[in-house]
Amino acid sequence: MAVPVADIREISGSDLISALHLAQQAPAILGQESRSRVNSSNSSETADYYARLEQLLLACLRTGDDQSAHTCLNRLSLRFGPSNERIMGLRGLYEEATAKDQSALEKCLQEYDNTLSQSPVNVPILKRRVALLRSLNRPSDAISGLIQLLDAIPTDAEAWCELADLYQSQGLGSQAIFSLEEALLIAPNSWNIHSRLGELLYICASDGEASQLLGRSVQHFSRSIELCDDYLRGFYGLTLASARMLDNDYAVSGQLPRKTLERLKAFALVKLGEIVESRSMDDQHWASSRSELIAAKELLNRQSNIQA
Amino acid sequence: MAIQGAEQTILRDPALFYWILFPISVVMILTGILRHYATVLMNTTPKSPSTLAESRERLALLRGVNLRNNACSVLGRESFEMRKNYMVTGFRNGAFLKDPNNRGQPPANPMTDPAGMEAMMGMLKGNMMMMIPQTLIMSWINAFFSGFVILKLPFPLTIRFKSMLQSGVMTRDLDVQWVSSLSWYFLNLMGLQSVFGFILGSDNAASQMAQQMGMANPAAMVNPLQPGQDPDKLYLNEAENLEVMEHFCILDGVEERILQNFAPAGI
Repeated sequence: MAVPVADIREISGSDLISALHLAQQAPAILGQESRSRVNSSNSSETADYYARLEQLLLACLRTGDDQSAHTCLNRLSLRFGPSNERIMGLRGLYEEATAKDQSALEKCLQEYDNTLSQSPVNVPILKRRVALLRSLNRPSDAISGLIQLLDAIPTDAEAWCELADLYQSQGLGSQAIFSLEEALLIAPNSWNIHSRLGELLYICASDGEASQLLGRSVQHFSRSIELCDDYLRGFYGLTLASARMLDNDYAVSGQLPRKTLERLKAFALVKLGEIVESRSMDDQHWASSRSELIAAKELLNRQSNIQA
Repeated sequence: MAIQGAEQTILRDPALFYWILFPISVVMILTGILRHYATVLMNTTPKSPSTLAESRERLALLRGVNLRNNACSVLGRESFEMRKNYMVTGFRNGAFLKDPNNRGQPPANPMTDPAGMEAMMGMLKGNMMMMIPQTLIMSWINAFFSGFVILKLPFPLTIRFKSMLQSGVMTRDLDVQWVSSLSWYFLNLMGLQSVFGFILGSDNAASQMAQQMGMANPAAMVNPLQPGQDPDKLYLNEAENLEVMEHFCILDGVEERILQNFAPAGI
């Protein structure tokens, strides 16, 4: 076997670099499967195989290997049938990615609308439609589509996060905060959403309620650290938020005593320094979050300049 | 009464082992496997909602439950009160119902409602899959093997086990260690789970189906409403649960907590 299976599983393809790695293995994976599928009749293994194929499809589309993506898609639809909702969604994604110009995208949109008029609760297609509207630069349509979706399926954390992102891009801060809170209600222990909410609150804290919003921001950053104690973004945000509270003297009006804030800031800085140091050592492993690392280094430099 | 301390001996034909004990075990294992595949074959996937309103009717309840369970780890007092009022009034008004006009009317008879009918059929099929083979095999054993004493357990047991181990053998004085053929069937019925787990994979009986349907739409799979249940009643119940809920927030004092738990001593 050319590709060890464990390797493939480890690469999730969620960021560009690992997507590229995954996509480069496409010919090996696709070639090898036809042989190994015969002797792996175990159900969990085949389920794994199809999940991997889906990952590969996404990675290939991101890296421009449309040929392999098409092969993946064909295999998936051979197994699950072209009328399976998720396959329909993936096919739509493929069509969108390979669309040549604006009119082709418009045609995709029309196709989605057709599908939805036949089966209104086709969640993957509903989501694709929203994403397509967004990439067609029609954010208000995307928002209304997403609201319609969430009205019917209010337990979809992914959709709430997307809605928050859309609202934020339109400058509607409080709506974005509401949406992220809804997402957190579905997945209360996800530290990344906690810290994302902290970031949103930090960004929105500019008008009259600034001290209150910043206080909540600090709370959410702290919670994300409590849930994951080496989360870079959490510490970064905690540093910024507590520094801003200290600078503007919000501590007096809020419930947070100034001393706690100072300790929080110092703690976050120390921890940031440790994380940056340890991650710079094994650079390869953290390659995907290099930009975050650089930002953290920059913040550390700035803080030490202020103190000096 | 059996004489205490004295060992009862019964001369058993070794053929009993080959012609009764062994066939019963093999037949039980084979029917178990057969039943597994029959279940997989006849399993129908839960019907996904066909309209957006129907999906909302199902999931609004989950949203209420989510709010009740997770509010304490996310929301501050203000946003919690806001959401609580929204959900409670929504539940009370029937705003989440599929068709609010039908509210208060008795639920449709599940026998006439095609969707309910389908779900009932599913349950019926599942039950039949258990019942029919069991009845058949039990009558088979009763017809051919009743009254045999086929093995002796190597350890003593109390008298209470007599009815479990010696069904079909009406002998009062027989020691509890002896097991009759019908009881061997029952023991197999209850105790073969791990054997099936070994043969068919860890969670058998239609779990294979669930895995492969992972490709299907995850949001549509959950349906908290049983067929024939009135969603309005569930909503009112949930509204009450939400109303009595007391708010607290674990975000209060989280700053102190992380300083205490994670910060090094010097800070």
